[in-house]
This record gives sequence, structure tokens and C-alpha cells, in this order.
Amino acid sequence: MPLRCQGTICDREPRMIQIFHATKYYERRPAITDICLQIEKGEFVVLRGPSGAGKTTLLKLIYCAAPLDEGQVLIQGRTVTHLKASAVPYLRRTMGVVFQDCKLLPKKSVYDNVALPLLIEGASAPEIRRMVMEALKAVGVEHRKESRPAMLSAGEQQRVCIARAIVNQPIILLADEPTGNMDAELAHEIVELFKTINSRGTTVLVATHNKQVIEQVGRRVVTLDQGKILADEGQGL
Amino acid sequence: MRRLAHFIREALVNIRLNWTTTVIAVATTAFTLACFGVFLLLYLNLRAVATSLQSDFKVVVYVQESVPAQGVAQLQSLLKADPGVQVVSYVSKEQALADFRAQFPADSHLLQGLGENPLPASFVVSLSPSLRSPDAVRRWAERVKSVPGVEQVQYSRDWIDNLTAIVGYLELVAVGIGTVLSAASATIIASTIRLTLYARREEIEIMRLIGATSSFIRIPYLIEGTMLGMMGSAVALAILKGGFELFKVRLGMPGRFLGIDSGVQFFSGQVVGLIAAAGLILGFIGSLVSALDLEKAK
Repeated sequence: MPLRCQGTICDREPRMIQIFHATKYYERRPAITDICLQIEKGEFVVLRGPSGAGKTTLLKLIYCAAPLDEGQVLIQGRTVTHLKASAVPYLRRTMGVVFQDCKLLPKKSVYDNVALPLLIEGASAPEIRRMVMEALKAVGVEHRKESRPAMLSAGEQQRVCIARAIVNQPIILLADEPTGNMDAELAHEIVELFKTINSRGTTVLVATHNKQVIEQVGRRVVTLDQGKILADEGQGL
Repeated sequence: MRRLAHFIREALVNIRLNWTTTVIAVATTAFTLACFGVFLLLYLNLRAVATSLQSDFKVVVYVQESVPAQGVAQLQSLLKADPGVQVVSYVSKEQALADFRAQFPADSHLLQGLGENPLPASFVVSLSPSLRSPDAVRRWAERVKSVPGVEQVQYSRDWIDNLTAIVGYLELVAVGIGTVLSAASATIIASTIRLTLYARREEIEIMRLIGATSSFIRIPYLIEGTMLGMMGSAVALAILKGGFELFKVRLGMPGRFLGIDSGVQFFSGQVVGLIAAAGLILGFIGSLVSALDLEKAK
């Protein structure tokens, strides 16, 4: 039995992420249906569900990679549902995204991949050097900074992707199956890293079906199935 | 500054990674600009010849035998006062004979049997540039011919007019060919950039996802297209210069005989600059056309 929506758009106490009655179709097939979800600033939320449950779609709606068919999405109280195309890049710069397939630029070095968000923002050269090295150290791949992504293991690639997502200190970190390519030990390290990032005030939303990750996080878990929210447990943890 | 360095580096990387398409684009741009350059060289040189001939153009006003010296002086004053006349010089009967003998020494005996000097006195007139069109010259000649004391007004500028007409046609052909070849060149550069965009569509999408604006993505491709155009024009100018020097060597003796070897000139520094700028602009336009279609590269 899907959960009913709580709160309204008129609840103007700005939360970090607010999703109201969101519905998204892919070729007339609903990927998510009437989803309502509110995430506070600094929360760590796990989106749980099997493949095809709508986890990736929900994340895409948040970082404007897929247009919404019905409903509304608000980030820090501002609607992003019908954001102008020219405004989307600026919204995305406030978020770090860890993609399931990493999405690293193959012809660039690890350093250049991680530096890209800062370069896009127009950061100064010394600032870029300092922040990139900090991010690479945080994920433990600073020794591979000159390597190309193809020369890295799947786990290392994922860590570089995380470094790129956190390098510009985003207010929201979205991660889509971030431990999909990792063994249990590495997955544990990555979750600890997310917890550290979260402890600095970043709102973290991780989509996963990995039970070990869910247990390790030990925070709020939203369960999705067939595009609907089935459960929302541990709010306020 | 950091961003500009990034854009230039990205453009150079694109050029290096896609060297096959780069070579094709540069070669085609060079070929099209060189073809246009050949026409431009021909046109500019012929125009220079026509202009030079037009400025040397002179009208001869023959004086009647019966006109006394005072009448000749009055006629000279009349011509000098004419606003359409730039320079007037008087050639007396004696001077005309001396000139004939100097120009045709082998034929000077032809005049000996005639006893008296048969050559008339004349005024050699240079008309002002405003009176150099065929109609203006004809009207001026008819007016002067009716002046008492004037025997005949002679000028022969048919072939100058023909040359001017040819230069005019050549100008039209050069503009037409230039337009077609420029469009072809811009299209080829646009296709090259489009191929690059297509090959890198995943990278472009990733950059979008991490917050890159369209202009941040486009600028390296605009720089790349501009660089391709510049390289094309540099190669075209090198080909034209090489071809021109070869032509001058081949022209050799016949050219010196006809007196055109020293008159044939390569482009001035200004025209070289314009051709380089044309390549640059074509490259920029070509890449702009493709870069504006960035959404299709998704």
C-alpha cells in the first residue's frame, strides 16, 4: 500500500528537497507515480528498491536530467520543475552526482576529471589544485591522479567519480548505486566516506539495493517499488 | 584566463585526436581559398593593367594647317581652361616629324619624297578621370571637334574599354566563385565539427550533467573551427605564393618582351591579411553552425 503525501507546496519552511505528486512516464509506461518525498537539510537518506523501482528516475528528477510529467520538485524551496534550460547548469553545480556508470571523461586524467566542476565554476588555479587534491585524498586515489580512467579498476573509477561529485563541496550529494562495482570492504569504505561528507552538513541521497550499505548507513530508508513509495522509515535519524 | 587556456587546450586536443578529419578540413579549405585566390590574383593584376592604361589614355587634337601661331595659342588656352582636361602639351609640325623619325627610323625615307612636312601640329590631351568613360570621351571629342581651327580629334580606346569590360566580368565571376567556394569551405568545416561533436556526444552529455553551460561546451569547438580555417588559409597562401613564383619564372622572356613581367604582382600585405581573415571567419562560421546544433549531439 503506497504511502500518502505529507505536507503541501504551501509548506514554505524551505526543506532541502521537496517532491510533490511526481509522476514520470517513459514511453507511456510510468517510471514513478505520484511520489511525495521531503528531505531536510543535512539528512542522509537511502532509496531502496529493486531494479526498475524508480530510484534512478527519482534522482534524475532532482538534478533535472529528466523532465517531470506531473507534480513538482523543489530544491531549497525553489521549484526546478520548469526550470529554463539555461538555469539548469547552475542548479547542477549545487549538487554532486555519483553515477552508476561513473561517467568519467575517458580522454582526461583523473586529476582533470575531478577538476572539471571547479573549472566550470571558474575557480582559480591554486584553488582548483588544493580542492582536487583534497577530494582525491578523501577517496584515497591521489596516487592515480595522472592515470586515465581506463587504467583504473572499477572501484577506483567509482572513487574518482565520488571525488568529482564532492570536489566543489555541494549542498546535496546524489549517488546512484555507488557501490555497485565494489567488493564488501570497499563498499564499507565508501559508505563511511558518505557519512563523513554528511557529517559536514551535506544532504546525502543514496539509491541502492545493497542490504549491507543500508544497514551500515543506519539512517532514513525510503523503499520504492514499481514507481511508488512503499515505506519511509527512520525519519529524523 | 584559466578557462581560456582550457578552451584552447581542448581545441588543440580535438585537432590532434581527430587528425584525419582535421587534414581533410584544412586541405579542402586551402583548396577552395586557393581557387578563389587564383581568380583574385588574375582579377587584381588585370585591374591594375586596365587602371594603368586608363590613366595613360590620351586624346590627340590635330590643328588645321591654316591656323596661325596666334590661333594655336588661343586653342591651347581654350583646352587648358577646359575643366575636363588635366594636361595639354603642344606638338609642333617639326616636333611631330622628329618624333616620327625617332620612332620609325627605317621608314623615315617615306616622307622625303613629299618635300614639305606633311605631319600636322597637334595637342596631346590627358583627360581628367571623370571623363574617361567611353561616352564622356566621345562627347568631349565631338565638342572639341566643332571648335574652329581643329582638324580632327583622335583617340582609340576600344581595346581599353574591352579590357575594362573583361575586368568587370572577371569581378563578377570572382565574386560568384568566391561565394560558392566560401560556402563549400564553411560547410566542410561545419561537417568536421559536427563529426567531432557526434564522436564526443557522451563526453558532452557528462559535462552537461556536472553543470557545464552550453557556451562552456561550445567555445572549444568554435576555437577549433577558427584554427582549421586559419590553417586552411595559411596553406592556401603558401600554395598561391609558390604557384605565383613558378608562373613568373615560366613567364620569363615572353613576359619581359611584352613588358608585363614587372607589372605582375602578388597580393599586397593587406590582401594577404584579408585572405587569412577570410579563412578564420569561414572556420568560425562553419563551427558556429555546428556548435549551435549542440542539442542534436545529445
